[in-house]
Amino acid sequence: MSSLLDTFGVLSVFFWNAPVLVVLVLWAAACLTSLLPSKGTWLPGGLALAAHFLALLLTGYLAWAVLSYGEIRYALGGWLAPWGIEFLVTRLSVFMLITIFSVSTLIVVYSLADLPHDVETRLLGGYYTLYLLLVGSLAGLCVTNDLFNMFVLMEVAAIGACGIIAAKGGPECTEASLKYMILSCLGTAGILLATALLYKLTGHLNIDYIAAGMNTAVEHYPINSMVALALFSVGYIIKAALFPLHVWLPDAHSSAPSPSSAVLSGLVIKVYAVLYLRILVQVYSPEVFRIVPVNELILVLASISIIVGSLYAMAQTDIKRMLAYSSIAQIGYVFLGIGLMHPTGLTGGLLHIFNHAMMKSMLFLSAGAVIYCTGIRTIKDMKGIGLQMPLAMSAFTIGAMAMVGIPATNGFISKLYLAMGTLEAGRPVYLGVILMSSLLNGVYYLPIAIGAFFGQQDPESWPVERRDCTRLPLRMAVPIVILAGGCLFFGIFPRHMLVLIEGTVAIIFP
Amino acid sequence: MILLLSALYNNVFYFASVVLFVIGFYTMLVRSNLIKKLIGLNVMETGVFLLFVSLGYVEGGLPPIVDHTNDVVYVNPLPTALILTGIVVAVSVTAFSLALCVKLYRYYGTLDADEIMQRRSAPK
Repeated sequence: MSSLLDTFGVLSVFFWNAPVLVVLVLWAAACLTSLLPSKGTWLPGGLALAAHFLALLLTGYLAWAVLSYGEIRYALGGWLAPWGIEFLVTRLSVFMLITIFSVSTLIVVYSLADLPHDVETRLLGGYYTLYLLLVGSLAGLCVTNDLFNMFVLMEVAAIGACGIIAAKGGPECTEASLKYMILSCLGTAGILLATALLYKLTGHLNIDYIAAGMNTAVEHYPINSMVALALFSVGYIIKAALFPLHVWLPDAHSSAPSPSSAVLSGLVIKVYAVLYLRILVQVYSPEVFRIVPVNELILVLASISIIVGSLYAMAQTDIKRMLAYSSIAQIGYVFLGIGLMHPTGLTGGLLHIFNHAMMKSMLFLSAGAVIYCTGIRTIKDMKGIGLQMPLAMSAFTIGAMAMVGIPATNGFISKLYLAMGTLEAGRPVYLGVILMSSLLNGVYYLPIAIGAFFGQQDPESWPVERRDCTRLPLRMAVPIVILAGGCLFFGIFPRHMLVLIEGTVAIIFP
Repeated sequence: MILLLSALYNNVFYFASVVLFVIGFYTMLVRSNLIKKLIGLNVMETGVFLLFVSLGYVEGGLPPIVDHTNDVVYVNPLPTALILTGIVVAVSVTAFSLALCVKLYRYYGTLDADEIMQRRSAPK
C-alpha cells in the first residue's frame, strides 16, 4: 500500500514539474548518450527515442492541463517571477510542443536506420547528444517567459543545430556549419543587445513585467525602444531565414544528413518565427506599429521571400537544395500570417507552422530514403524512380501536392486561412503573392512527382557509387507513412489543431 | 557641443559598448580570415556584456552582501550573474567555431573565407 502511495507521489511530482521536465528529460538523455558506447549498438538512438516518448507524454499532460485549467506558470527553482526564471505554458506553447515532439520523434525513428550510413558509427552517440540538446532547447524556447533565458536557449540550440550539420564531416558540411554559426551568433548578439536595452528601460527580464512597463518606456524613451525592436527584428529574421538574411540556410540544410535537414527545416526556423511573434505582440503592443510600421516591413520581406525562394528552388538541380530553398519560401508564409496582424491571417500563419513541419520533414525524409537506397541526389536522375521506390515517391507526391495546396492536403487549409486573412485585412495584393507562389510551387514540385512515376529511367547518368537496395528499412518507411498520413488527415480534419491556434489568436486579438 | 559631450559622459557605458559592438560587427563582416571573424564575434559579444554589467552598477554601491544595516546602497547583482552565464555561452560557441575552423583548415589548407569560396566554386 505504501509503495503504491510512493509511486503516486513520484508521479504527481513528475507531472507537477512537467513544464521544466519537458526540457530536462531531453537534456538528461543528451548527457547520457554522450557517455554510452556507440559502436555497433542501438543504445544512443534507443535512449533518444525513449526520451522523446517521455517528452510526448509530458506534452500530452500539459495539453490536457492547459486546455482544461488555462495557462500554467512555473517558477524555476522556486524563485518567483520578477527575480527568477519563469516558464509559462500557454496554448501557443502547447501547440509548438506538439509540433516539435510529434515530428521529432518520427525523425529519430527514421534516423535509427539512415544515420549509420551518413555519420561515422563512433560519432553516433555524439550526434544524438547534439540532437537532443537542440530539441530540448527548442522545447525550452516555447515555454520560457524570460528574455535572458531565451538567449541562452537560443545559443544552445545554435550549437546543437550546427553540430548535427557538421557531424557528417566533409568540407561542405563543415563550411555550411561554420557559416550558420557565425550568422546565428550575429543574430543572437543583436537579440542580447536588444534584451539589455529593454532591461535598462523596464528593469525586468520577464516578458509580462517588461510588457507592463513598456508603454511608459516607449513614451519616454522612444529611440531606445525602437532600436531594441530593430535589433530584435534583425536577429530573429536571421534566425528564421527570411529573405535578405537567408544566405546560410541552403548550404546548411542541403549538406546535412537527412534527419538533420528534416529537423532544421521542419522545426528550428519556425520556433524563431513564433518567438518573433511573441516579441511583437506580447512585449511591444500594436500601438508601436503606428510609430514604426514593422508589420509592413515583415509583409514586404515575406512576399519577397515567398517569390524569390520559389524562383531559386526552380533553378536547383540537387533535390535537397531545392527543398531547402522551398523552406525559405514557406517560412515567408508564416511571416505573412504574422505581418497581416489580423486574426484569420495569423491563424493561417500559425497553422502553416504545424503543416509545413510535417510536409517538409516528410519531403526531406523521402528524399533521404531515395538517396539511401539509390544514391541519386540530382532531380533529373529521379525519372522513373517511382516504380523502384513506390512508397517513398508516393509520400513525396503527397508532400508535393500539400506544398502546392491542393484540397484534401493540409497545405490547402493553411493557405486558405492565409488567403482569407489577406482579404479580410483588406490587402488583396498579398493574395496575389500567395496564388503566384502556389503556381510556382506547382512548377517545381509536380514535375518531380510526375517524372518519378511516368518518366523513363536513364541508367547512363546514374552516379558511380549507385547503391541498389531492394527494399526500404521498416524504421525509415514507418515515419514517412505516418507523416504522409498526417498530411492527409490534417487536410481533411483540421479542427484538432485549429482549437489550440484559435485560443491563441483570441488572446492576441481580443 | 557641451550638451553632446555631457550626454556622452553620462552615457559612457552605452557609448563604449556600442563602439565595441560596431567594431566587432565590422570585423566580422569585412575580414575574410575566419579567426579574425571569430575574434570580431567575441568583441561584439563583449560589448553587449559590458552594457549589461554596467546596468547593474550603482555609483558608490557596495557588494550585495546583506548585513541588515539599512542605509546602504547595493549594486544590482542580477546582471552580473546573467553575464556569467553569457560568458560561458560565448566561450562554448567560440570553442565550437574554432573546432570547425581546424577542420576546415585540414580540408582546404587555408583559413581565408574568400579563398575557400573560390576553391569550392572552381570546377573539379
